[in-house]
Amino acid sequence: MSDCKQDILEPLNIADCFTLAMDEEIRQDGLAGSLCGFGLELSQSPDIEKLQQRIHHFSQQFPVALASLQQRGKRFYWCKRETPPQLFFQHNCTDNQAEHTFQKDTVKQLINHKQKREETTAIEFHLISNSTKTTFFIRWIHPFCDARGIDLILKYLSAEDTSAFTQGNTQPLVKQQLDKYSWWKKLTLLLKGKRYIASIDRFESIQPFKSEPPQHLNYSIYKLSAEQTAQVSKLARKQVGLTGTSLYYIGCLMRALDKLNPEQLGEAYCAPYAFNLRKQRALSPLIANHVCALFAQAPRELVQDRNKLFAHLKQQNRDVIRQQLDYAFLPLMWAGSWLSLAEYGKVLRLTSKQKERSSFWFSDIGTLDIPSSHFLGAEISSLFHLCQVTTPPGLAFLCCIYQKQLTLSYNFVEPLASPEQIEKLHQLVLAELLDES
Amino acid sequence: MKKKLRAFIFEELIFVAEPEKFSDEDDLLEAGLDSMGIMRLIMFIEDNYSITLPDTEIEPDNVQTFKALEQWILRHKNA
Repeated sequence: MSDCKQDILEPLNIADCFTLAMDEEIRQDGLAGSLCGFGLELSQSPDIEKLQQRIHHFSQQFPVALASLQQRGKRFYWCKRETPPQLFFQHNCTDNQAEHTFQKDTVKQLINHKQKREETTAIEFHLISNSTKTTFFIRWIHPFCDARGIDLILKYLSAEDTSAFTQGNTQPLVKQQLDKYSWWKKLTLLLKGKRYIASIDRFESIQPFKSEPPQHLNYSIYKLSAEQTAQVSKLARKQVGLTGTSLYYIGCLMRALDKLNPEQLGEAYCAPYAFNLRKQRALSPLIANHVCALFAQAPRELVQDRNKLFAHLKQQNRDVIRQQLDYAFLPLMWAGSWLSLAEYGKVLRLTSKQKERSSFWFSDIGTLDIPSSHFLGAEISSLFHLCQVTTPPGLAFLCCIYQKQLTLSYNFVEPLASPEQIEKLHQLVLAELLDES
Repeated sequence: MKKKLRAFIFEELIFVAEPEKFSDEDDLLEAGLDSMGIMRLIMFIEDNYSITLPDTEIEPDNVQTFKALEQWILRHKNA
């Protein structure tokens, strides 16, 4: 650790600190830290020269992409490196035997690559090709940006004119939102947030899998057909209305987990999820995290009754927004950013009884509108996103819709869960989503 | 009323490059108003117009355009 501040490019904002605390927790589990991934399955190789130019241009406009995440005193900063890291990599399959597993094996290696935090590149771009398939894979460390930011970075890379994508000199959105409140209002919100967490902690959270020492992250991706996706949307509207699509996915996973492992100890399923502070369709800010957190929680007896569960989740969400408990997390995140990473991680993860609060992690990035289904000359056939997760719970469930098709990404830590178990889980989730249970 | 709704939606919920060109009949859902946004919008309406909007009426027909939103609010204000 150095005290030199000359090399500092940017301090972390309070939402970045939130993800950094999770990075530390994941590292403490012996995993690779809070690495995230976003993959585009392409029909052919994109224009590589153009892609390299765009990545270079991106790193010039957003130099934090080339920075190292370092501690200075008690705080963390993006710092300039002596030698800029390589950001673009090509992986070509040379072994015919491994052809059918090449893409997934490479992605797994990248998302599980263990490095010291200071050495980890903020963001890397990988083109992974075999004779029939090309995957463009972006890997980043969560404090660098959130999933919406990656959507914007993809748009940046494929845009002819990038002038609309400015980070600007504005404050992070978490800070802007906090600045709207008076000192007194911040304090009121902080206390509200603490009481909200205490109410969540009345129930012991059910963990999805048995407890075992974690080894690495694996993932399974499932893409629903357009017809299935339309049916899911129709059912979501019926069950949770126009205002709760994400709650429908969460509820379906809760029910599926309960059917998969009905004997698991605990009283309720609890899922943290982030909501974005950016306006919809805004093209900035690209980098850093601009999110706040919420919980969806349901006691087991409600999970077992489909109609009661969705009515409960909908009402819970409505109450949370009505009482401003969503924004109550902002002052909590501000207060947490002054704790050590170890202390903050414990506060975020553990209840007062020192039990894990989350049954699974959840993210829904909604409908992606990457333009014209083309990425630098290559057609996008599908996409997926990934994230590392703490153990427990060892499961992150990520959803998005692209080209009218819902993609479900199950990220799970082995050996707590196996691909076979996840396949069973997915069949149960699918039956719930389509109300065929 | 529309002015207040427009200010809230364009300042808090969705980004539109030229809001003045967004007409009262343009589609807010197409413009990016999502489920979380609709929830916030409903809370904003209930707080500002002292009405309660029933869950059963949270339908695209009532939130799709500024015109539809205004009519929805007026129905409840006048009830």
